[in-house]
Amino acid sequence: MNGKKVTGNVVAIVIALFFAFPTYWMVSSALKPTKDLLSTSYDLIPFSVTGANFATAWTKPGFLGSLGNSLFVTLTAVVAAIVVGMLAALAMSRMRFRGRKGFLMLMLVAQMAPFEALLIPMFLMMRDLDLLDKLPSLALIYFAVTLPFCAWTLRGFVNGIPYELEEAAMVDGCGRWGAFRRVTLPLLGPGLVATSVFAFVTAWNEFLFGLSLIKDQSKETLPVWLSGFQSNFGTDWGGAMAASALFTLPVLVFFLIVQRKMVTGVTAGAVKG
Amino acid sequence: MTAVHTTDAAVPTNSSAPRRAARGGAPRRRGSRFDRSLPYLLLAPALIGILWLIGWPVLSLLVTSFRRLNLRELTRGEVVWRGLDNYTEILGNPDFWSITVRTVVFTVVVVGVSVLAGLLIALLMRQISPVVRIVLQVAMLLAWAMPLLAATTVYQWIFDQQYGILNKTLVGLGFDSFAGFSWFTTGTSTLAVVGLLIVWQAIPFLAFSLYAGAIGIPRDQYEAASIDGASAWQTFRSVTWPELRPLLLMVTFLSMLWDFKVFAQIWAVKKGGPDGGSTTLPVYQYLEGISKSHFGVAAAVSVVMMVLLGLLTFQYLRRLLRQEGTL
Repeated sequence: MNGKKVTGNVVAIVIALFFAFPTYWMVSSALKPTKDLLSTSYDLIPFSVTGANFATAWTKPGFLGSLGNSLFVTLTAVVAAIVVGMLAALAMSRMRFRGRKGFLMLMLVAQMAPFEALLIPMFLMMRDLDLLDKLPSLALIYFAVTLPFCAWTLRGFVNGIPYELEEAAMVDGCGRWGAFRRVTLPLLGPGLVATSVFAFVTAWNEFLFGLSLIKDQSKETLPVWLSGFQSNFGTDWGGAMAASALFTLPVLVFFLIVQRKMVTGVTAGAVKG
Repeated sequence: MTAVHTTDAAVPTNSSAPRRAARGGAPRRRGSRFDRSLPYLLLAPALIGILWLIGWPVLSLLVTSFRRLNLRELTRGEVVWRGLDNYTEILGNPDFWSITVRTVVFTVVVVGVSVLAGLLIALLMRQISPVVRIVLQVAMLLAWAMPLLAATTVYQWIFDQQYGILNKTLVGLGFDSFAGFSWFTTGTSTLAVVGLLIVWQAIPFLAFSLYAGAIGIPRDQYEAASIDGASAWQTFRSVTWPELRPLLLMVTFLSMLWDFKVFAQIWAVKKGGPDGGSTTLPVYQYLEGISKSHFGVAAAVSVVMMVLLGLLTFQYLRRLLRQEGTL
């Protein structure tokens, strides 16, 4: 190994430490007893380990409730966006029809629309529909936020599956639906998983609409609940770190599942999760 | 890939053709009424969703921005037109201008730093041992995967005045003035911490996509450059840069789109404070609209936001549309 490569490796390790440190610090703080957290001594490595903070976070009023709310809203939105998006993707990718180009443009522009700028009309609309302080309104908004991305990304994945395969299956006696179900759908599996993960992360992270449309504390989503941790926890940083770690865990697992698809998925869809 | 071969192999034998005919169903002739309406049926749910939940709000936003709509008008259901008054009100407000300038500067700095760092890390990843590369990639994945609010909470803890590890470290290194130093007493330092947090989470995506682009550059181009005796910088300028430019442009514009509308981190850290010092346009929109119930004014702020964002990303959008036009 030459000197240049050694330098490169050292620099890379330092950068890796910079990226990994907050995660390390979150986990190690979550494992430390409170008296160690609130000491002025230098404590980069935890000496005594406890599960107390996780127990505190788990039993904290609001945590499980907001976790459930977030799961409900996110999963509803993602399932709806994936189903509707896949139908649209099939039409966009497999069929030629009048207005196709216009629809493609619409999807692309909708994907770029700055949703945050639509806060006021969304708020007024949900108020008119008597949907303020109700979780379905959030699910509806997250559906709309993720739909253009899902449709567009899935279109890319469908494009990648040769249509000849479906035609062959139809020649073999499958109906259009049968050919789709037996040939395209299984091949689309990884694309569906990757797209769902991005949509999930977007909705799981959403904060502005969760904060604005929900005032009833029992209906808060997890990000909103966590943003009030200083009032929820006081100075209980251990509890806050344990809650953050529990919040991170599902996303991390999903990221590890789709890590290979991630960059292609995002750059193809041109929208970040 | 085995599936592909079995399917292909099955085609010439065509053993199931009689069965299909025997079923008596309509042979799938192109152009039946069902076939012609199928794409529209498939698109309908998406189209309805987008027109209802995106198209309509955009129109409603424009309309609302010309109305006086405070809690009073809202509860009474009154429609009071103000013409351009909402706009003249915000544009005549010096606070609005400082918030706008702050938002644009913040966006440009955060995007600039993260794209540059992402590019450097992407290029570095080509030069290092595979094991180190995996370590670096896993570390970046951790940063990328952490939910915004979890990351914000962790940063608040790291930057905590009394027990934060950063101040402890700085004091340990001999910078005694950082004992009990508060990072959140001015808007600028608050935004600096938020900016660092955003950059930290933004770099992984940038580095991964630029790395993917960089390893796609044909090797023979580098060989040609080295035969020509090009220096590292010359090689970068004449080989790497032209190949990466389109991708770099795309991720830069995407980053602008994302970073301009940052709300969660700023709000969670200090709610735009202290004294409005870290208020950006999205925060201002929330404060006017949701906190103060000045919906008309807030709508005008949102319109200005959209226009600014449009100006920042116009070139990219145009390229994208032109590209798609050829598909």
